[in-house]
Amino acid sequence: MNRFVESFVGTFSGFAKATWVTLEITVASLLLASLIGLVFAFMKISDRGWLRLIANGYIGLIRGTPLIVQIMWLYFGITHFIVLSKFWAGVLALAIHSGAYIAEIFRGAIQSIDKGQMEAARSLGMSYGLAMRRIILPQAFKRAIPPLGNQFIIGLKDSSLVAFIGVSEIFSVSMSEAAATFRQLEFYSIAGLYYLALIVVFSLVLHRLEKRLDKGSR
Amino acid sequence: MIKVRGLHKHFGNLHVLKGIDLDISAREVVVLIGPSGSGKSTLLRCLNFLEQKDKGEIWLMGQRVEPDQVNLNQIREQVGMVFQHFHLFPHMTVLENIMEAPVQVKKRSKAEAREQAFSLLKKVGLQEKADEYPDKLSGGQKQRVAIARALAMSPQIMLFDEPTSALDPELVGEVLQVMKELAQEGMTMVIVTHEMGFAREVADRIVFMDNGIIAEEGKPADFFANPRHPKAKQFLRSIL
Repeated sequence: MNRFVESFVGTFSGFAKATWVTLEITVASLLLASLIGLVFAFMKISDRGWLRLIANGYIGLIRGTPLIVQIMWLYFGITHFIVLSKFWAGVLALAIHSGAYIAEIFRGAIQSIDKGQMEAARSLGMSYGLAMRRIILPQAFKRAIPPLGNQFIIGLKDSSLVAFIGVSEIFSVSMSEAAATFRQLEFYSIAGLYYLALIVVFSLVLHRLEKRLDKGSR
Repeated sequence: MIKVRGLHKHFGNLHVLKGIDLDISAREVVVLIGPSGSGKSTLLRCLNFLEQKDKGEIWLMGQRVEPDQVNLNQIREQVGMVFQHFHLFPHMTVLENIMEAPVQVKKRSKAEAREQAFSLLKKVGLQEKADEYPDKLSGGQKQRVAIARALAMSPQIMLFDEPTSALDPELVGEVLQVMKELAQEGMTMVIVTHEMGFAREVADRIVFMDNGIIAEEGKPADFFANPRHPKAKQFLRSIL
């Protein structure tokens, strides 16, 4: 136990820096993923067949292949064409990955809103876009928050996989410490603790948000 | 005000409207009645294009209207609709529900829209509920707010799709009262309802639908006293 505390304290500054990187990757990729998710959710509910086809192809491909493969595709594939740092290649891969799941969350939330809401809005002379923005989306977002929070937690943990393209985030620091000291169990457990701490904090924020949005009904 | 010619509508294999011709003049109050599945609600929904017609012509306020036409939204502004299940916006207060379309669609100032919303709430007797969310209201109150919301766009025509069917019996009266006042003010109204007492008292004309066609129409006094069509006779016997 003493040794564990020692290891923890000894590597704290390294892990703290890495935690910051993990946070940056997570926030950047999830913001981008939410945007991607929203766009593809609209494509999926579009009445244009070719838009639905593209969205289904994208979601099918992403759900059907492992994230680590997608990270490699992006890192080794896209860097042939454009200059992209490891960090941004990681962010992009994670965003494209989470985006597919978030698209399904948004689509489900939008379609769960009673279609009478759209009819009422249209009957007042609102355009489809205006009704979507003012009436449907605010209700859908509220309904999407619990599954979205879940997806964000998954996204935070999945960011550990960019360690394999050499981004110095939490997991990659634990890998190099473990390799240098042969104290694998210790350093991977320490990495776990940092993730756990981040997720506990995030869950608290999420809970607050859900409570605050609980005014009005449904 | 409303002219319908040869209107047909299918849902899959189901032929719901089989050639409807209907003329409704300004300030007229028309009540559509008939057995369930006769196409009353579908006809009403076709009038503001919530359902797309398959065939036929619809003229509103002197203009022929097609579903793909660019100013459809502007035409809809002038045709208010009240739904069986209210469809108030749950994330907005009562006042915001009423102000929403005038502010967003008609680009009225908030102050102006608020003032108008208050006067409409007064008209339906719900000023004190202005800042409540819809889930705090009874069904009758919700429907009165829904009427105020539709009126806020100053429509020339109001459509009511079974406005009291989802209400507890003791709440029906307050909604009918508001509708009656509206009729007395000269609003052009098309109402689908099962409230025969209301129809008899307020309607200028009863339109009886059966199986996708208009089977009989006439003044309420005549229609209720001497229905001629056998289906109309049967319908009235079954509900009165």
